[in-house]
Amino acid sequence: MTAAHEEFSALISKVALRDRAAFNRLYSLAAPKLFGICLRILKDRTDAEDALQEVFIKVWHGAERFSASHTSAYPWLCAVARNHSIDLLRSRKPVTEVLGDDGHDIADATLGPEEASLLQSEGRRIDRCMQELDSERALAVKKAYVEGLSYQELAEHHGVPLNTMRTWLRRSLLKLRECMDR
Amino acid sequence: MTTPGQSEGDRARDEVLAGEYVLGVLSAPKRVEVEERIRRDRQFALIVRRWEQNLSSLNEEYEIVAPPSLVLPLIEARLFGEAQSRTSRPLAQQLWTSLALWRGVALASIFLLGGTLFFTSQQQEARPVAGGPSLVADLSPQPGIGTAAMTLAARYDRTSGRLSLTPVAAGAADQHSLELWMIKGNDPAVSLGILPADGQGSVTIPDKVRPQLSEGVTLAVSLEPYGGSPTGSATGPILAVGRTRAR
Repeated sequence: MTAAHEEFSALISKVALRDRAAFNRLYSLAAPKLFGICLRILKDRTDAEDALQEVFIKVWHGAERFSASHTSAYPWLCAVARNHSIDLLRSRKPVTEVLGDDGHDIADATLGPEEASLLQSEGRRIDRCMQELDSERALAVKKAYVEGLSYQELAEHHGVPLNTMRTWLRRSLLKLRECMDR
Repeated sequence: MTTPGQSEGDRARDEVLAGEYVLGVLSAPKRVEVEERIRRDRQFALIVRRWEQNLSSLNEEYEIVAPPSLVLPLIEARLFGEAQSRTSRPLAQQLWTSLALWRGVALASIFLLGGTLFFTSQQQEARPVAGGPSLVADLSPQPGIGTAAMTLAARYDRTSGRLSLTPVAAGAADQHSLELWMIKGNDPAVSLGILPADGQGSVTIPDKVRPQLSEGVTLAVSLEPYGGSPTGSATGPILAVGRTRAR
């Protein structure tokens, strides 16, 4: 973890204790990145500005719950921004539920015994695991994450049926998990 | 996370669902469903948290874009109210005025009692605030990955103003002190005093604070340098946190 990331954790601990100066500092450090996230997913400046407000209000209220969990703070901050933006996107542009989603594409899937890997920082390992995926599928995973695309939009992008895209991504997730657990 | 009674197929299903949620491909109703489950299913919350950490290197794809300068004042106005926005005030001024006094008293008692740490105040002998039911709180590390630092059971006797803490599971604290804080709404945390290194002990809540120590406030324990936070705000990690409830 970098020094900057450690500062994020320390600041969030203080924010949990309602330290407004720490909140101010956290904003100045994290807002440009979180604004970039909102902007990329929402693709509208005004929407992104509104979203950024909501994100920091969620950070203020969620800091207490987060700070005792001892996970790294930076991914959490990014997750708050991504989740809020994606929720907004989905509520505005509803996607049809995947029809006939009986889970058949993962019904026969199993995962080996889990390694005690929960505490390890796996941030970099994901890069290697992504390379083990078929390149088009890796691209779909990345695009889904970065742009906040739905299954439907991904299927259109890649010119494949919805069910195919869903199976692709689910199998990719299982492969990633297996690779990370190794 | 494999739990007893859960098949490997179930685990695969949970991993996929959590991964789909973190990727963001699910529909709005499905996302609401998953968020609901994150709140009530600790194991599942850990799986989601792990995907968030695992995929976090993809965050490098996002550009850094300076937001317009009006956003922060808007956020602060919404959180703290226009008049109370105190971001330009130095940190020290944000301390509750009597906090320094209390800490001084607490430190003095450390010297007087040769290492037996407890918190007291000049108001200790004052007339107790009228009764009402006792409050209890379980303070624990919240769902997430990592080391569970400590778990404490707190009990507040409104008649005597005494808040007792018992560690259920405590980590080593060495040359540090455990500081107890009360958080109410959006106000800065108020230090309630220093606990012995093993977390066992009680503090007497000063009369001034008693009306605020009610059902639903948050109690938190942070790890501080020996003798307590030097700044009046928590400087160390929060080890345990929980809300009070009537008993």
